[in-house]
Amino acid sequence: MSDPFLKVRGLTAAFTTRGRDVQVLNGLDFDMAAGEAIGIVGESGSGKSVTARALMQLAPEGSSIRLGGSVTFQGQDLLQYSERQMQTLRGSQIAMVFQDPMTSLNPTMTVGAQIDDMLRRHKGLSARPARDRTVELLERVGIHNARRRADDHPHQFSGGMRQRVMIAMAISCDPALLIADEPTTALDVTVQAQILRLLLQLREDLGMALMLITHDFGVIAGMVERVMVMYRGDIVETGPVERIFDAPEHLYTRALLAAVPRLDAPEAKP
Amino acid sequence: MTRLVLIRFALAVPILLGVSVAAFALMRLLPGDFAQAAAGSANVSTEMLEKVRRDLGLDQPIWVQYLAWLGDALRGDFGTSFVTRRPVTSEIGGRLGVTFELTALAALMAMVMGGLTGLASARFRGHTDWIVRLWNGLMLAIPNFVVGTLIVLLAGLYFPQIRIFYFVPFTEDPLGSIGSLLLPAFALSLAVSVTVSENTRAAVLEVASQDFVMVARAKGLRPRTVLRNYLVRNALTPVITVTGLQIAQLLGGSILIETIFAIPGMGQYLFDSITSRDYPVIQAIVLTTAAVVVLVNVLVDIAYIRADARVEG
Repeated sequence: MSDPFLKVRGLTAAFTTRGRDVQVLNGLDFDMAAGEAIGIVGESGSGKSVTARALMQLAPEGSSIRLGGSVTFQGQDLLQYSERQMQTLRGSQIAMVFQDPMTSLNPTMTVGAQIDDMLRRHKGLSARPARDRTVELLERVGIHNARRRADDHPHQFSGGMRQRVMIAMAISCDPALLIADEPTTALDVTVQAQILRLLLQLREDLGMALMLITHDFGVIAGMVERVMVMYRGDIVETGPVERIFDAPEHLYTRALLAAVPRLDAPEAKP
Repeated sequence: MTRLVLIRFALAVPILLGVSVAAFALMRLLPGDFAQAAAGSANVSTEMLEKVRRDLGLDQPIWVQYLAWLGDALRGDFGTSFVTRRPVTSEIGGRLGVTFELTALAALMAMVMGGLTGLASARFRGHTDWIVRLWNGLMLAIPNFVVGTLIVLLAGLYFPQIRIFYFVPFTEDPLGSIGSLLLPAFALSLAVSVTVSENTRAAVLEVASQDFVMVARAKGLRPRTVLRNYLVRNALTPVITVTGLQIAQLLGGSILIETIFAIPGMGQYLFDSITSRDYPVIQAIVLTTAAVVVLVNVLVDIAYIRADARVEG
């Protein structure tokens, strides 16, 4: 067991659109320890979301993504996996929380059924035990009257509540790694704090590794131990979160930190 | 849900009343009436014509005629045919049944063929997409009576062992009856099936780009679960709308197809009745057809509620 929990070496990703290749990841190297929380920070288009999709091997509908390098997860090279093997791994070993809870849930299914189907797929549960577990999960993420609410449709939930449902779904099969891709970007600030607290709590309770992807330095402070800063498909800087905040080495990291709005900035004073 | 259905049915009442007024008035606006049409080119005295009109009540003011007819119709009596002197209900009953059987069969075929080709076109893209869209474009451009005629012609020339011009009533042999209507129903369904196909294709492509489909894949669900519960279920609503609208068109198209395939439906009978100005028959057919169209629309509304929880019952 000399392999770390997650070892990424020379990870490249290229999209093929209209016959042309566009390289979006230029060979990433990073490791993650079991149960570790890392943050990936960068501006739009820096490749942070593609990194997450590359780990899950999920291409957007209608396009194809070509991956290179190696992704060794718990000793297995995922890039050698067949699509069928990846389907078994997605959701059960690596789960993901997406950016926009308003569009991430199927509007024609009850929220309960959308967690049930995952439990039935990966845990082999039948209808009734799956629903019991779903209710448990919904309670755990702070949804009251979970038994009754499980039969409601997504449009009957607020944005924050929907993101809680998404989180319940993501942790439902006890994944070893949870990827949260901008989980709070679409929510208002007070709800953001609640969702982040929930993620922190769950990570402590379940001991899963957390990869938090955001463009907002404010979100990762207090959430993760280590930060990777991405820019144009490269990791430009990596280190403990305090160090990155106190003494950023890379010019881009400094620029990114300077972009965080500050309450005590001179312009903000009346 | 029950409330919505009741409201829809209540709304059907003024619609059908309007249809009945229109059917009644429009027929009488046509030049000539039954007496003249029956006399044809024969030299008949004005007194004779007047007597025929008096016997049929055609000398009364139009609103008196209408109210008398409406009163009877509400009690299920559509009067007697001017031509055959037999009750309209028994005259058109069997014929309407045949037309509705043909239309229902064609609607079912259109939904299955259109749904499957549209889905295949959207999922596989590439060559499948090309072939389906070429076929759709072609079939949209060709009227279904041309297709019907071509089917009769080609089948007659190259597959003489296939029987084309025969009809088995549904009450005698349900399966045999459906078998006898397969070719005409196919000809009738083509135009509608390509519309359903194009709309299914567009709906599936639209849904496939939604976030929740990506989420479903990220959950590790099997592709067929994603297809059934996430893609198809969400693509249904727009497809239901189009299908509902198209079914009314099928009823109109069936008149021509029945004539081509010599099916004893109401098509030919309606045509003859209009020529001979047989008012009671025409009114009954128009009203029943309108009632069916209204009923189909209520069914479409129910289908909406079943397909999409956001439509409140």
